[in-house]
Amino acid sequence: MTRAGSLDGIRVIDLTQGLCGPFCTMQLGDAGAEVIKIEPPAGDFARRMGPPFVGDESAVFLSLNRNKKSVVLDLETSLGRQATALLACDADVIVEDLGPGAAEKLGLGYAQLHGANNKLVCCSITPFGENGPLRDRPGSELVVQAMAEYTASLGRIGDPPIRVGADIASLNTGIFAAQAILAALFDRLRTGEGQRVAVSEFGSLLHLRGIMWHSMSDPDDWYGFHLDHYTKPPDSGYQAKNGPLYFILRRGSNEDWDRLVMELGMEEVLADRRFADYGRAATSIGRYATEVKPIWEKAFRNRTREEIIDLVKSVGGDAVPIMDYPSLLVHPQVAALEAISEIDHPTAGRFKTVRPVARFSETPDSIRLAPPMLGQHTEEILRAAGLGSL
Amino acid sequence: MAKILEGIRVFDLTIAAVGPWATKLLGALGADVIKVEAPGGDRLSHAVPPTIKGSSVLYISANHNKRMIELDLKKEADRAIALKIIEQSDVFVQNMRPGAVERLGLGYDVVAQVNPRMIYVAASAYGRIGPMAGEAGIDPTVQAFCGWCGITGPEHGRGEMFRHLAHLDLTTATTITQSVLQALIARERTGRGQLIEIEMLTAAMALQTTRLAEYFATGEQPAPLGSAAATTAPHQAFECEDRRYIAIGVERDEQWSGCCEALKLAELISDPRFETNSLRVKHRAELIPILAERLKTKPAAWWTMRLNNERVPNGPFLTFEELRRHPQVLANGHIVEIDTPHWGRMYVDGLPWKFERAPAGPIRAGGKPGEHTAELLTELGIVDDRRAGVSK
Repeated sequence: MTRAGSLDGIRVIDLTQGLCGPFCTMQLGDAGAEVIKIEPPAGDFARRMGPPFVGDESAVFLSLNRNKKSVVLDLETSLGRQATALLACDADVIVEDLGPGAAEKLGLGYAQLHGANNKLVCCSITPFGENGPLRDRPGSELVVQAMAEYTASLGRIGDPPIRVGADIASLNTGIFAAQAILAALFDRLRTGEGQRVAVSEFGSLLHLRGIMWHSMSDPDDWYGFHLDHYTKPPDSGYQAKNGPLYFILRRGSNEDWDRLVMELGMEEVLADRRFADYGRAATSIGRYATEVKPIWEKAFRNRTREEIIDLVKSVGGDAVPIMDYPSLLVHPQVAALEAISEIDHPTAGRFKTVRPVARFSETPDSIRLAPPMLGQHTEEILRAAGLGSL
Repeated sequence: MAKILEGIRVFDLTIAAVGPWATKLLGALGADVIKVEAPGGDRLSHAVPPTIKGSSVLYISANHNKRMIELDLKKEADRAIALKIIEQSDVFVQNMRPGAVERLGLGYDVVAQVNPRMIYVAASAYGRIGPMAGEAGIDPTVQAFCGWCGITGPEHGRGEMFRHLAHLDLTTATTITQSVLQALIARERTGRGQLIEIEMLTAAMALQTTRLAEYFATGEQPAPLGSAAATTAPHQAFECEDRRYIAIGVERDEQWSGCCEALKLAELISDPRFETNSLRVKHRAELIPILAERLKTKPAAWWTMRLNNERVPNGPFLTFEELRRHPQVLANGHIVEIDTPHWGRMYVDGLPWKFERAPAGPIRAGGKPGEHTAELLTELGIVDDRRAGVSK
């Protein structure tokens, strides 16, 4: 018997599709909530994202929908809308990404649902925020990254834009949505009342770039890693004989520094002011790191990255290999953290995914349900709600 | 109106960005966050450029909504004060290198003994078990390690780092905030606090869960694709006649016909190669040149208008100079200006959430190290023997 998660007994009605909302509700499910994923007859559009597919299931969909039950209800029919409203009467949370005002038009707005269930927490997720001229615009992962200037920290000036490879606009917003819902649930424990909460993808990414906005508020000098990355070339780490690595020097002593320099045959840098202070400004985010990189790479040319990593660590620095997924996933640290879970799916078979991140000593997150097949739980849920005849 | 975390006190023993940003968000929700620093603070927080009037922007930005107290926890008198604060706190957050906080005598076991209701977060780069247990890590080293450079970069080119070296820090931070809220809910039911462990590495992997899923499904490393998405198409940047780029993102099948209409390529709607998203992903190499060629024939403004008319997700590549005046940003408070006591007027990140009944914020600048020491000790009814000793 597993111990109850922190949201044990909480029921979530999930009207979202794609990446952002589903990532949010998956985390609520991981925390122990019962998540009822209401899908249109054609299913969440993430079911069609890909290839790759595992069996008939989209790999992307599988990674975002564990711990949920799928109920097909067509919100374009009054029957579907009424059934959804009825489920919301009995629920603790409803999450929707239908667009500003759209839930109200379907009779599923906060004011309408709150009348029947004043404990309900209602979370709205939009691409750009609920006010302003772009409030009704549809968004996408890249569109939000582009508008929040994330691509300005990648690639070369004048070259075609490059996106952040991970789906950050969607997934980071999913985290903020989960926070907002949790905060409102906590508030409900004290006040007895639910409330409406809202997040946006644009707002989330602009929040996460906040150090930048501070940096541009009249800095003492236009220098520092939150400013000069606009103009720096792409950084792919330091190339060693058998692959790239990344390193930082920071806790050095005189002896350590001398030994590092001598072992690498870099004695000429001892007179180079850019390598002053044990090379601190000559690596990583240091002021001279970009311009002195070729000096390091020359010294690394005939050494394996494992040798260099050991050497850097022996002088009190930090060093890691730059890894791709195959090397990451066989790394003993990933195994030690049990970062990957396996889930059995009725048609896709056993598949791997990243486990819930936080480990709670008393109310642990858990994986209890495989991602649902479309409509897998329609009958079960509707029958239990007294809607068996639908 | 009471704020959501009013009455919740946070003992903040955090450094750099990961821990501080997490507690700053708790502060925005109304918690009383007490940031505890050793005299001089940690070097990373205070020395990293850029600076504003001599203070590191990293420190300023990650420590809003807090009060600052200085304690030298290596000294017994200061540690005793810390324990008194801990008795009156609900949440303890630390992100020191594993082992460091135990050496200060403030590991989970000690703290839970003093205060069994404490929610204690231990955040680290790579965790406290395994061959890398105890290794320190910061955003760029975790970026390097976690596989994220391999999926970002030009098509057929080398993978590259995200040069705004804070994203994985703040992703971990937000995961901490989320877990604290979870544990606060749980505590109402169980009456007990608990230990929460979070690694940056796992948080960084969870942020890549959709991309890792591609690898698990195929056994092949997903290659960098420039601006393009891997599992939806067309979803990338296109250059227009005026050499401006626009981002177009067709994620839903119903957006495809609108995209074709907007680009005056209606014949593609019924083209069997492109009928569904998965067909378009499969035939990306045939599809993209057709669209790219068309988009080059007219300026970005023309395509933006037409795509908006058809409700196809699209947008420009904006810069800060445009963002800080952008009506959408202003209307939603995504970036806001605040007055600060030491650093003048500043642009700061807006709050990531809106609460209808219990608004979060307003954002208030933290302060300099130790700025609130006397005020806090008086308020908590803690006699500062150290000062008494000095005056004797």
